[in-house]
Amino acid sequence: MVMRVGLVALIGAMAVVAAGCGSGSKSGTTTAASGGGACSSTVSLGMLAPITGPAGSIGSDQLHWAQFFISNWNADSANSPKLKLVQGDTQLDPAKASTVAQSFASNKAIVGVIGPAGSDEVEATTPIFVKAGLATASGSATRVSLTAGKWKGYFFRDVPNDGVQGPTDADYMLSTLKVAKGDTVMVVDDQESYSTGLADIIGTELKGKGVTVDRESISQKATDFSSLVAKASGSTKVVFLPFQLASQAQLFAQQLQSQGKTAIVFGSDGTFDSSKFHANGSYISFFAPDVTTLAAAKDSVTAFNKAFPGGTSPFGAPNYVLAQAYAEAISSVCKAGNAPTRDNVRAELAKTNLSDTLLGTPLSFTANGDVKGAKFFIFKIENGKYVTQ
Amino acid sequence: MNWNLFVTELVAGITHGSVYALIALGFSMVYGILKLLNFAHGDIYMIGAFIGYGLITVFGGPAQMHVNVILLLTLMFLCAMLGGGLVGVMVERFAYRRLRNAPRIAPLITALGVSFFLENGAQLVLGAQFQSYDSFSWSNTPIALRHFTLPAHANVSYAQIIVVVGTVVLMIALTLFVQRTQTGKAMRATAFDREAAAMMGIDVDRVIVVTFFIGSALAGAAGVFNCLAYQQVWPYMGFQAGLFAFTAAVVGGIGNLPGAVLGGLLIGLAESFATGYLSSTFQQAIVFALLIAVMLVRPSGLLGRAAVQKV
Amino acid sequence: MDGGKDIDPVPARPDEGQGASRIGVDDWVASHEVRRDRGEGVLADIRTELERVPRHAFYAGFGVLAALMPLFTSNDYIVRVGFDTLLYMLLALGLNIVVGYAGLLDLGYVAFYGFGAYGYAMLASPKFGLHWDTLLIIPVVVVATATLGFLVALPSRRLLGDYLAIVTLFFGQLFVTVYQNGNRISFLGLTRHYDLTGGPNGIPDVDNFNLGGLHVGSVRAYYYVALIMFLLVLTCVYLVDLSRTGRAWKSLREDPLAAELMGIPVKRLKLVAFACGAGIAGLTGTLFAGLNTAVFSANFDVATLIIVYAILILGGAGSLGGIILGALVVNVSLEVLRTPGHATAVFYVVLAGTLVAVIRPWKRLAVLIVGTLAVGYAAHAIVASAWPRGIEGSASVGGWFGSFVNGWQLHPSNPRFIGNLAFVALVFAVLLLTLIQGWKRVLAMIPTLYLASFVWENRLVVEPSITRLILLGVILIVLMNARPQGLLGTSRVEIV
Repeated sequence: MVMRVGLVALIGAMAVVAAGCGSGSKSGTTTAASGGGACSSTVSLGMLAPITGPAGSIGSDQLHWAQFFISNWNADSANSPKLKLVQGDTQLDPAKASTVAQSFASNKAIVGVIGPAGSDEVEATTPIFVKAGLATASGSATRVSLTAGKWKGYFFRDVPNDGVQGPTDADYMLSTLKVAKGDTVMVVDDQESYSTGLADIIGTELKGKGVTVDRESISQKATDFSSLVAKASGSTKVVFLPFQLASQAQLFAQQLQSQGKTAIVFGSDGTFDSSKFHANGSYISFFAPDVTTLAAAKDSVTAFNKAFPGGTSPFGAPNYVLAQAYAEAISSVCKAGNAPTRDNVRAELAKTNLSDTLLGTPLSFTANGDVKGAKFFIFKIENGKYVTQ
Repeated sequence: MNWNLFVTELVAGITHGSVYALIALGFSMVYGILKLLNFAHGDIYMIGAFIGYGLITVFGGPAQMHVNVILLLTLMFLCAMLGGGLVGVMVERFAYRRLRNAPRIAPLITALGVSFFLENGAQLVLGAQFQSYDSFSWSNTPIALRHFTLPAHANVSYAQIIVVVGTVVLMIALTLFVQRTQTGKAMRATAFDREAAAMMGIDVDRVIVVTFFIGSALAGAAGVFNCLAYQQVWPYMGFQAGLFAFTAAVVGGIGNLPGAVLGGLLIGLAESFATGYLSSTFQQAIVFALLIAVMLVRPSGLLGRAAVQKV
Repeated sequence: MDGGKDIDPVPARPDEGQGASRIGVDDWVASHEVRRDRGEGVLADIRTELERVPRHAFYAGFGVLAALMPLFTSNDYIVRVGFDTLLYMLLALGLNIVVGYAGLLDLGYVAFYGFGAYGYAMLASPKFGLHWDTLLIIPVVVVATATLGFLVALPSRRLLGDYLAIVTLFFGQLFVTVYQNGNRISFLGLTRHYDLTGGPNGIPDVDNFNLGGLHVGSVRAYYYVALIMFLLVLTCVYLVDLSRTGRAWKSLREDPLAAELMGIPVKRLKLVAFACGAGIAGLTGTLFAGLNTAVFSANFDVATLIIVYAILILGGAGSLGGIILGALVVNVSLEVLRTPGHATAVFYVVLAGTLVAVIRPWKRLAVLIVGTLAVGYAAHAIVASAWPRGIEGSASVGGWFGSFVNGWQLHPSNPRFIGNLAFVALVFAVLLLTLIQGWKRVLAMIPTLYLASFVWENRLVVEPSITRLILLGVILIVLMNARPQGLLGTSRVEIV
């Protein structure tokens, strides 16, 4: 029995080695393919996302949206060249993201990367991509410093950064929700970098106007907010929740209600999901109009739900748009008669100009890689539906 | 003295602690008999929660509840307990049985393997998205909305009451089973000395299967309780819960059932009061520091007996 | 007198299961028995010869192979995977001292790893403006981490077994929380907030290694630095293993009470074991920080701990060669399985290989293979005529094997729901298979194999990131059941 296990282990090891050797030759042949009449062969895009692990709900959704676009693109025979998505699971861990980034960099077939999802991962992987000449475009990394200029031409994102969302939300609270000097606003972050960055910005804005900011924090893995809710006092007018999971915002709102507190819940773009967060009287800020209300997007959304049942998350659809931007860039390169390489795809991506996307907003990038003309929309939840304000 | 805050934190702590206590009970039972740290226990809790979610989907749907809420609740519990128990028994039979006499660290890794398998299998089949007990108009039912008002203006929702009362009922049932029935006696004997119990004619295999079934059924019930109160269901929810269950079981004295309950309550209350009175940011750190202190003062856990080492 | 059975045979003692470790037997006797029971045959002779080779020859051989590896590939990704594997090997080495030698279950081990990484980051980044030379940082960090390990172990001396495990787990979680929120530490809200660890943003822009003027920048350079460190630590641990302290640790692991009676300073040994393990983890942390040039608290959580434990136990706790093998098996398979093409190759080869290796006599194997092929082609033909959408998809690989699979296996155009059902059915089918024997088992295997291939093609290989973790879980379960002492483990390591 033991010997048999040993034999099997040996066979397994040989299989792994054979597979590993196979990879060397595989990338070799595709290099040759992208040299000649290249627009006839399939072009690969890499995708970095936290597909498994605690952030799996966000990452797998992002992956599915990108896959959805690519299968639609490939199904239309007018589109050329055909695309292929190579996935890489980062588990929201920057070290693992670096390893996967290295594999993408060494894989000659990949001409562009979608992702990664977290701002920390972007910091860890972009130097590798810059060295390899790959463009990288994230659909959810919102830290302001990422587009400070050091990765100009290499890093792009199609969601506005925290520097836009924070002031927009703060202004709305002060002007429309009538939060005045002396009132308290409770800001709860979930100890992830998306959350703390946004919470810091809005905290500073509000404090500057004399509002008392009660800064709280709870782990993203926590499911019970009742202890935190109990701390909301009578003068707490608004509770700001820069969460990445809409269901947590819903839970918070429900526990607020069940404890009889009157504070208004204000969620950030991570909580924009009407199937999960639908507590009446709450507000949400989001970087695009409600996709479910746009007639044009409706068919896509239905088709997506059919292909990938189980629900979606707000950071999913931006990855569809990114895949679209890449597809258009690669297509332009081909139409100009060149083979798609990392350099020319990057250059074309910077010139992206989509007048209308699934999100309902146009897409073009600033010189530093941010979305041009980014603005946030405020929604109020009435009767379980999101109403644009 | 802000009584409102105190009472609210107390209620929140007891609710959360009850869920931990239930999971810790099952964990402790299995440990007591097999000395096995079953890290897959938290994933059985997750399966129970998903079974409950599946039932709501079948009977509810986005429109209305077709069925009386009380009936639905009972059905959810029974199915979750049954389902959890069956999964637990299967895991024991196929993953752990051969390792009964192996060095203790081997079943630990097997348990980790089972945990990987269950979590990622659940993601494959059910998707990684957070599902919610709330999505199907559950929040329009009396359970989630209505509440009692205690003195000091603190509200206790029906869901919280169900969780606490349910836990107490299950604990009493378990205690009666273990203390009064024949099988319970056999379980206690096997936990005390497995070899001697086998020699006395107890069918050790059957006792182990029953233990796993009951422990896993409790975990399944805990899954439904948790989601009644906190609504979120997702494939990786078991991981964190399993860790806390392990903590609660050991802090209370591992192998000791009342200790597991006490440990669970202690953790729940510590979390609540740390958030309310100290710092929500360092809530986890404070709880862990407290638990370290408890363990150092009482090295065998709160209610554990000091292990007598036979020479 | 009936001619039937005599009195029932005396049932086996509970500790006399197949391959079970015997209580009270030390590992020299146990390994002697294993050798004696090995039997005859070519394989047995090979094993006996291999055991004559001194262990350090193997380690030297491994060192040479590892050093030559980067020269044969221009793919930096492979070198990077090699680096990650070396890091895991180092961590497992340190953990081996605590778990494998001293028998203490330490569940907070990765906290020391994080401490080392953060320590390096704080001393070599713009955060506090310090940019020390690496040759100075490494000893400082290692000593600091070892001291921390010592301090953590101090109050834990009284704790046994699982209680020690839980306290170390608490420490581990405590560290993660402190790192995660270390950008707003204030003393009970009285002082202003201090930013020690950067919180969730971590500490970025950490300097690369600077060994006295020699700048270590590329992945290959780090690989060699890591390899050298690993070999150094391996040598030290190997020498310690042969020394008095090593023997004392092993006696502590086997029977702490007897060890104490023989005059071995048990408490001191526990502290030293913890400190050594922590020191090695701290060293690994500096390597990690140097290459990644950024540290975040997420890297040092329970997920990493689980992988290190899996490597250690899978390879065989207490065995240095096992650590190398375990790390290769776990980490390399996880990486290889990321790519659908490679994963399919591994899947089919391992499946076929296992069948060939395990099923005897040959008649049964032949029936199995022919039967599976026949059932497959038949099903394909039936479905093709009755329900064409059932074969619209395509195989996951190209080439000749892909065309074979296309003609043999079903590929529905929308396989999600059916694939999920098939997955659950497959799990039950495999479990059922373990319950039956003989010809019934072979016949039941035929549809099960076809089902397995169906699930693989339509559901598993479509989601390689999830599948590789499922496969890892299955590998752990199967290997630990087949060989509880680990691949290269000695027959007995028991936890105190």
